[in-house]
Amino acid sequence: MKKVEAIIQPFKLEEVKEALKAIGIDGMTVSEVRGHGRQKGHKEVYRGQEYQVDLLPKVKLELVVSDARLEEVVKTIAQSARTGKIGDGKVFVYEVAEAVRIRNDDRGESAL
Amino acid sequence: MKLPKPFESAMTTEGNLPSSDDQNTLEQRTSLVEGVVREAYLRFLDPALIEGLTVLAVGGFGRRELFPYSDVDLLLLVASASLAERQRPAIAAFLQDLWDRGLRVSHSVRAPAECCERHEQNLELTISLLDERYLAGDRVLYDKLGAGLPRFLHGERQAIRKGLCHMARERHVKAGGSIYQLEPNVKEGPGGLRDLHVVGWLGQLRGAQPDRIPRPVLPPELLPARDFLFALRTQLHQRAGRDSNLLTFDLQEEIAEQSGSEAARWMRRFYGYAREIHRAALREIDLAEEKGSNLLVQFREWRSRVSNADFFVSRERVYFRAPQRLEHEPALALRLFQFVARHGLRPAPETERRLAEQMPVLRRYFSAPQSTAWAEFKPLLTSPNCALALRSMHETGVLGAVLPGWDGVDCLVVRDFYHRYTVDEHTLVAIRNLEDLRGAQDPMRRNFAEILEEIDDPALLVLALLFHDLGKVKQDGRHVAESVRLADAAMEHLGVPSDQRREVRLLVERHLEFSLIMTTRDLDDPATLKLLSERAGTIELDKKLAVLTFADVGAVNPSALTPWRMEQLWRVYLGTYNELTRELEADRLTQAPDRAEFLEGFPVRYLRTHSETEIAAHLELDQRSRAQGVALDIRKENGFYRLTLVARDRPGLLASIAGALASFGMNILKAEGFANVHGSILDTFVFADPHRTLELNPSEVDRLRMMLQRVTLGKQDVKSLLQNRPKPSLPSRRARIQPVVSFDNQASELATLIQVVAQDRPGLLYDLTSAISSAGCNIDLVLIDTEAHKAIDVFYVTAEARKLEAAAQAALRERLVAACAS
Repeated sequence: MKKVEAIIQPFKLEEVKEALKAIGIDGMTVSEVRGHGRQKGHKEVYRGQEYQVDLLPKVKLELVVSDARLEEVVKTIAQSARTGKIGDGKVFVYEVAEAVRIRNDDRGESAL
Repeated sequence: MKLPKPFESAMTTEGNLPSSDDQNTLEQRTSLVEGVVREAYLRFLDPALIEGLTVLAVGGFGRRELFPYSDVDLLLLVASASLAERQRPAIAAFLQDLWDRGLRVSHSVRAPAECCERHEQNLELTISLLDERYLAGDRVLYDKLGAGLPRFLHGERQAIRKGLCHMARERHVKAGGSIYQLEPNVKEGPGGLRDLHVVGWLGQLRGAQPDRIPRPVLPPELLPARDFLFALRTQLHQRAGRDSNLLTFDLQEEIAEQSGSEAARWMRRFYGYAREIHRAALREIDLAEEKGSNLLVQFREWRSRVSNADFFVSRERVYFRAPQRLEHEPALALRLFQFVARHGLRPAPETERRLAEQMPVLRRYFSAPQSTAWAEFKPLLTSPNCALALRSMHETGVLGAVLPGWDGVDCLVVRDFYHRYTVDEHTLVAIRNLEDLRGAQDPMRRNFAEILEEIDDPALLVLALLFHDLGKVKQDGRHVAESVRLADAAMEHLGVPSDQRREVRLLVERHLEFSLIMTTRDLDDPATLKLLSERAGTIELDKKLAVLTFADVGAVNPSALTPWRMEQLWRVYLGTYNELTRELEADRLTQAPDRAEFLEGFPVRYLRTHSETEIAAHLELDQRSRAQGVALDIRKENGFYRLTLVARDRPGLLASIAGALASFGMNILKAEGFANVHGSILDTFVFADPHRTLELNPSEVDRLRMMLQRVTLGKQDVKSLLQNRPKPSLPSRRARIQPVVSFDNQASELATLIQVVAQDRPGLLYDLTSAISSAGCNIDLVLIDTEAHKAIDVFYVTAEARKLEAAAQAALRERLVAACAS
């Protein structure tokens, strides 16, 4: 099992969710986060005054998938979240040791 | 309480909601459980303890209100702690037997003296004793408690009542503070069963005597509500199979269907009952929290300075002086809520009763269009406690009488995962959010608060919020068009002037746009910014939509407006603002085929901010100006004066006009200056007449007009006019707003944007524009705004048709700062 963590642009959330739904992935955790990679922050100007925006609003998606579905899921996220511009985000993949469904104690991939 | 098998048959009789025998069913269940407890007592305690221990039912069990999975509250009254310690095995066996028989027992072991003393950290114990009942055991010991408890409760009644009120208020806050939650808790939530208990307990304590505590008596009008909740809680327990009191969406559907009703309609019934209970509880809490009843205090309060010819205030509640007038003068009701909105004092229960009594009269009166309705309603919307007044109007039914369409959203449930409240409550919370914004402290909220302060007519914003979700009554998931239609009808009924109506309609129509864009569009994409600026059209609408979205999103649920979302909304506002600022100078009207050439070169903003009637008036002024070189119009509007002037442009002209107005003692609040490509200017000034010169001396209007014409044509020197003006007194240096002068060469393609934020004073605009002109700069465009004592002046300036270089900016900055300080 792998945990997929994707940091994407907020406005791409619906598109990514739809694309994942289309390949049968419904469950995920979504959080509102702030950060930046190479995009860095930028300056906003309001009434002639400059405001440095260091951390940009992003959305983080977290989902755990079976090894067999990993490539498909990562590809789907990357394709649907892509605009081609700096700031599109990143996808990280982690090993998952175990999964437990709290309700009935299912273990492993059957708990996903 | 999981009932023992022999008693399960008692539950099957409770299938339907609500039935007349609900109280009986609860009592029947209670009796069955009493039997179980007595039996266990005889088996385990009686053989060991013939005297020295009494079993009492307390809490819900004491009230004979056992629901299927309620805890069974027991108090084991013991003669002494050492006795309890010695008999611990017998007590344990007694309790274990009850648990084994399926009862969820919640017990405590106390001596009579412990029951008759204050426990600061455990007021619940004292409260539970208000419902105590003898079940089994030592009668003499019980009588000992019976002798001491009333004396204790009577002596401590004030403190206990205060503590109980505090607990109730805390519980309300914890449960979301509103009865109008889409998935309410029928026990702990406001308007739930616990509030019903509070009514009973406070009544008992109020009537407490040293030798007797009365049994709780509910007002008869609350009995249907009580029976409804009894039956409902029973249903919730049975369906969940545990002590669950949350009325979820699914359960609403199931229970409503079972009772042969549609869920939304059935929930309205629920909210109706919850509202009755909540109000009764608040009335009791208010009574308990009142200060002393000294007659002199009451008299002084009666004469308190906020009282007036129509209303008086006693114990922080508002009363009609002559309630009988309401029947013949229904407009008094609206004045009452104006009073509430101004002073932040709620109507007294007696006042609410009078309103309810006259509701048919009020409905009849307000259902006919009233020529003064808007004039009377509007001040309420800008008063400091508008949210309280509107909530109070809603609770008494007056809002529904005054505002057509409002009844449609009363207690209206719209299924939405994110929404916490009914539509009416959501609307009132949104308006409260707007009000709370004024006192905001954290930097991001302050940003929005500052925008709110800059909004011209905040009453229209509140009106738009009142209307924004009225269309949800249609329940088709697309409510905006219906909201606009209902808003239009309501505004026509209220007699809202057409220009204000247009503005409110626009806000209602677009109230979802910012929240939609902030989550679905790339805010760094120029195309998004272009779209936003086109949709908003003007900086004024940008501000209103930003603040309206802030209030609206914050009313979805208490955690909906996260700092992250606030930041996204701010980016939407900022992007739109900057795009509008850029295009203000860059995007000019190049062709105006059906207009005169007069408009050529005006910014696109001009068309967005002026109505057809105003444009026609400007064209007429242009025609008139051709003969004499200048034409102007001065008229009074909404307490201020508006000067519109068309003339041939010349260096320093704006400064001259500003100076002429200042020389007349006028205080400029707003100004806009546009220049067309043919060398004509259109300047508009809104100014106040602080000394009422024009009002008291109508002939002075003509003199001002003549002087403005002479100044515009260069026939009169402004400096000499200003020489004799007295210097205005400014606030102390510490209280004064320190001037901030900023330059921006990115905001516009052709000109340098200069923004000056400074302490406002008469003549400031003249000094600033003179400083710019004397530095050899040309003012292409000007937008002047004043908020309280803060002037926010924006100039688009060029020098020799180019943007200002760094050196020129530095020099001009010095002049402008000096002008602000002079």
